[in-house]
Amino acid sequence: MTLLDIDGLKTYYGSDDGWVRATDDASLSIERGETVGLVGESGSGKTTLAKSIIRLLPDNAEIVDGSIEFDGTEITELSDRELRRQIRWSEISMIPQNAMNGFDPVYTVGDQIVEVIRHHEDDTSKAEARERGRELFDDLGIDPDRIDDYPHQFSGGMAQRAMIALALALSPSLVLADEPTTALDVVIQDRILETIKEMQEELNSAMIMITHDMSVVSETCDRIAVVYGGRIVELADAETIITNPRHPYTLGLRNAFPDISDDDQELISIPGTPPELVDPGEGCRFAPRCPFAEEECWEVTPQPESYGDGHQVECHRADEIEHLQAEAGKKETWREQDLGERKPVETADEQAAEAEVELDD
Amino acid sequence: MGLRAYVVRRCLQLVVTFWAFFTLLFVLFRMMPGDPTSMFIMDGMTPEQREQRIAELGLNEPLHVQYIEYVRQLLTGDFGQSFIYNDPVTSIIAVRFMNTIVLMATALIFAYIIGITFGALMGWWRDSRFERGGIVVTLVARSSPEFWVGIVLLSVFVFWLGWFPSSGMRTTGGELGGGFVARYGSLDFLRHLFLPALTGAIAYLATPTLLMRSTMLDVLNADFIEIKKAEGLPERTVLYKHAARNSILPIVTVAAIATGTAMGGSVVIETVFNWPGMGREMVSAVNNNDYPLAMAAFFLMGSVVIIMNFVADLAYVYLDPRVEYE
Amino acid sequence: MSTEQPSPTDSTTTSAGERLASLRQRFEVFEGDRLGQIGLAILALFIFIGIFARPYTIELFDFTFSTPGLAPYDPGERAVGDRLESPSAAHPLGTTDMGRDVLSQLIAGTRVTLIVGSLAAFMAVFIGTNVGLISAYFGGWVDDVLMRITDIVYGVPFLPFAIVLVAILGSSIVNIIAAIVLILWRSTARVIRAQVLSHKQRPYVESAQAIGAGHVRIMYRHILPNVLPLTFLYAAFAVAWAVIAEASLSFLGFGDPNMLSWGEMIYNVYTANAIREAWWWVFPPGICIMLFVMSVFFIGRTLEKEVNPELNHQ
Repeated sequence: MTLLDIDGLKTYYGSDDGWVRATDDASLSIERGETVGLVGESGSGKTTLAKSIIRLLPDNAEIVDGSIEFDGTEITELSDRELRRQIRWSEISMIPQNAMNGFDPVYTVGDQIVEVIRHHEDDTSKAEARERGRELFDDLGIDPDRIDDYPHQFSGGMAQRAMIALALALSPSLVLADEPTTALDVVIQDRILETIKEMQEELNSAMIMITHDMSVVSETCDRIAVVYGGRIVELADAETIITNPRHPYTLGLRNAFPDISDDDQELISIPGTPPELVDPGEGCRFAPRCPFAEEECWEVTPQPESYGDGHQVECHRADEIEHLQAEAGKKETWREQDLGERKPVETADEQAAEAEVELDD
Repeated sequence: MGLRAYVVRRCLQLVVTFWAFFTLLFVLFRMMPGDPTSMFIMDGMTPEQREQRIAELGLNEPLHVQYIEYVRQLLTGDFGQSFIYNDPVTSIIAVRFMNTIVLMATALIFAYIIGITFGALMGWWRDSRFERGGIVVTLVARSSPEFWVGIVLLSVFVFWLGWFPSSGMRTTGGELGGGFVARYGSLDFLRHLFLPALTGAIAYLATPTLLMRSTMLDVLNADFIEIKKAEGLPERTVLYKHAARNSILPIVTVAAIATGTAMGGSVVIETVFNWPGMGREMVSAVNNNDYPLAMAAFFLMGSVVIIMNFVADLAYVYLDPRVEYE
Repeated sequence: MSTEQPSPTDSTTTSAGERLASLRQRFEVFEGDRLGQIGLAILALFIFIGIFARPYTIELFDFTFSTPGLAPYDPGERAVGDRLESPSAAHPLGTTDMGRDVLSQLIAGTRVTLIVGSLAAFMAVFIGTNVGLISAYFGGWVDDVLMRITDIVYGVPFLPFAIVLVAILGSSIVNIIAAIVLILWRSTARVIRAQVLSHKQRPYVESAQAIGAGHVRIMYRHILPNVLPLTFLYAAFAVAWAVIAEASLSFLGFGDPNMLSWGEMIYNVYTANAIREAWWWVFPPGICIMLFVMSVFFIGRTLEKEVNPELNHQ
């Protein structure tokens, strides 16, 4: 059963130079209880995409087109009040990147959990809300008595658990987790991810996991959407994305992260930086950094093509899968010095002249 | 450094500052050009009376003896006799001091309530017409010396509209004495209090307003504000319960320091409104060469400033447990 | 966004040409800043009035230039009109209780304000910058001593101190400026110290030390140019503060009797007991004080954006 259906979403930021197309024509649907990973570099627009779902956008951002249907409700058409009452936290909650900063430092964690429960459930007493907070703490492996501590008294990992408790306090149907483990050290990361997974299964909540870390999504997600330049360039189940990706960007991302099963693997990073999203024009947005870009890639924006089993790719050369995968594994394919030669001359200067715009995350 | 060590060190600094302050006072009041006696001794005295007076004041002793005597008097709270009133300075000052405290406390409370509220709203609605207008109004208030604000209020509310009495603390013939409530609780007193307190409030409004605005802008960038919005809490709750509550910490420090500044301001406001407080008393004491009275008033005002600066430093450490002290 | 040019506080060493360019940039910050422009305009007007308040005669070799004074009458001359005459064509702002012309007094008072404001601010910022620079640069006991002195000065309430000092030394413009300077340097000292402390850690200071530059050279040739923008900002605030201080002192009757200032005009209204009737005598000097200080604050606010961009870019 479909819980969330995003269709043709365009979220733009106003800037002095014009609209920044942070999310440009993205479509994605999520089933109940499913975990979907949004993977991409900083500035790819993945956070904007996720925050658009609860319309948690800065004043200069706007959803200009597309629809977000959540459990039969069109979110883009809700009033602010309806959004606060019906959707935010009770249906869709979030876990921020750094939990320590996600709590208001001047109130105890317990007070903040009680506040949100009582705000959404008029007939829950303070004592009941508190008790629920203690139970959540217990479930997440924190001493329930620590509910009266201030955020700064928690360690990083414990703050993240407390944040998960806060996010799950109202049993939401969807949790947006924005790089929930990047601020933690590796050992704790794994335990937190396990905890999230367990709790999510218990509550049958769906989750969108935003991350730049391929290893995180491969462990936790059912499906993975790879985001580049505000567009979803490849979407498939986790297994396919890890073992059989078709988009050069996904291939590049996979190279940049250590593979647990392969000790000898050499890490290769993708040269260049994420694209300028003010008036990007026609053509594939990855072309300037893509080792396989051809003339067509510079001129025609690729449209999503289906490769069976829900596998969608936006790439003109996705058919040449064997060749791409073989070449992408070699370090020399991604050498930076070749970058300039890959670009047609007239656009190379344009690209160089343009200042880069930092987007979200 | 631990909290304890910090507090101990700060206390030692307080003692040193106090010592430096009252030594400065001693030097200042004995620095007069020529014979110090000529300034403080009434004309028309016979040489014998004059000698006797000098001996009474201890002005014929060597300086270091005078200094020790001076320190002894300060420590025992004995400021000598006023030349003009012929009463002990301590009893004159006590009443005036209380009047000043009531006036300035009222002014500061209003300044900070209004300033914090408006500053918070200016930060919340940044880049709005409200914020831009608010900044201009605040800067205009900050540009107006206390006496000018007082004169404008006097002209409008007293001379033109006739709503308030022009000067003093109570209508002549009003009952003096009695307990604190009788003195400061009567309607007549409040009518007299209104304009001078408003003057102070306007004069001291700018600092909390501008500071609150800029800390609000900082706090609003924090992650937890986004989470509170995502929690579906109404804007009002996010603004007051979370953003404003976090922005208020630095204000506490500034408020304590402002109390000290207000001591200086009381001199002007009390003069404009003829308020029988310590500031006005000090001006007239200086004009009348009433040296013990002037010195005692100056000493008290300085003490308030020093103590409030001390309170500000400690308050910050106690209020925000995250603070790291150097 | 100032991505193209490094902020002036980051530059390592500054040549004269660069400094001129950065000065030009500093004026560019007034572009599109309405408040800053209004401030500049008001200040320019006051400076003009202050300079040409009284007639000048300049003799240069054989030539003699004279400028007309802006003040229509001698501000001190009695009975140029009737006592407490309300505004008329002859006396646009009426007359005082002695029959002096209020407009002329107002124009003459501009000069006093400019002198006190600029001199006191310059000296206070000069002292404050040096104290902050030396304190932060040398650290250790030098820092301790200088900062304890600063703390003590923070414990002195300004107006009572100035009253006593002026009462003892006499009401002259020099003593008034001295009283203001003795208190006013403290805030500049603290801010400059903090700023220098952060600069001390930067590589350019280390490299200057490595090539054997002396303390004085490092402090004044290398560090000072980098904290100068902040000094300018505090100078602007010091001007505003000094003018308010002088006005308050004069209002209390401790002003220089030979140099009529705006504050003293209001004091005269008070002593003449004319505040109720002679609005034309009270309001002009008060409005002038307010406008003058306001113009400096507006300019200061604009400079602040330059000096402290993160403060306003949000």
